[in-house]
Amino acid sequence: MGRIKNRIRRLRFDHNEMTQEELANKAGCTRQTIIALEQNKYVPSIELAFRVARAFGVPLEEVFQDEDSHGG
Amino acid sequence: MAPLQKRALYSFIIGLVLTIAFTAVLIAQGNITAFERDPNLRLIMYAVLVGVPLVYLILVNLTLRKPTQIDERDRLIMERSSRAQWLAVIFTLVAWTIALNEIYRDQGQVPIVFLQLIFMSTLIISTLAQSLGIFVSYWEMNRNG
Repeated sequence: MGRIKNRIRRLRFDHNEMTQEELANKAGCTRQTIIALEQNKYVPSIELAFRVARAFGVPLEEVFQDEDSHGG
Repeated sequence: MAPLQKRALYSFIIGLVLTIAFTAVLIAQGNITAFERDPNLRLIMYAVLVGVPLVYLILVNLTLRKPTQIDERDRLIMERSSRAQWLAVIFTLVAWTIALNEIYRDQGQVPIVFLQLIFMSTLIISTLAQSLGIFVSYWEMNRNG
């Protein structure tokens, strides 16, 4: 899995150490999906990606980055 | 454990219990036609045929009640597992068709008891295959993404 990386773990830490369960509830998915996202083992749909970004109150590109567009 | 995994585990246990119960009855009666001869056994069989899908529906509702209990990743896993389920059901039916065809070819007719046995075995195989498919899909997704 690949080119889409994310900063979910970092953002959770920055948001008062939000738990995976809390984020899952806010984003409307299961905790297992949050775990898979953090481990970069699952690339979410655009809809879930937006919901995760909304849960942190930040724009989408602050959570998810395309490695190719950053020369990675 | 994700809610979908829990559901798969319950289904797997139901499937195993049914398989064991079914095998035990066959061994105890010594003959497949016992299902036909014994009216009590036939009633139990009908109860199981109706009861298992009902229990399954109730379990699905209990374990996957809230919208957040199943998400897009789970749906992807279910799609993968339904392929395994479909294949298992087809192969079960193929096995029954070939076996019954070869065994009863000369008689030109198949005992009616096999109607129940085919349905029962297909139900069990379908339940077990779906559960195993879910377990394997989770394992694959956690491993490869």
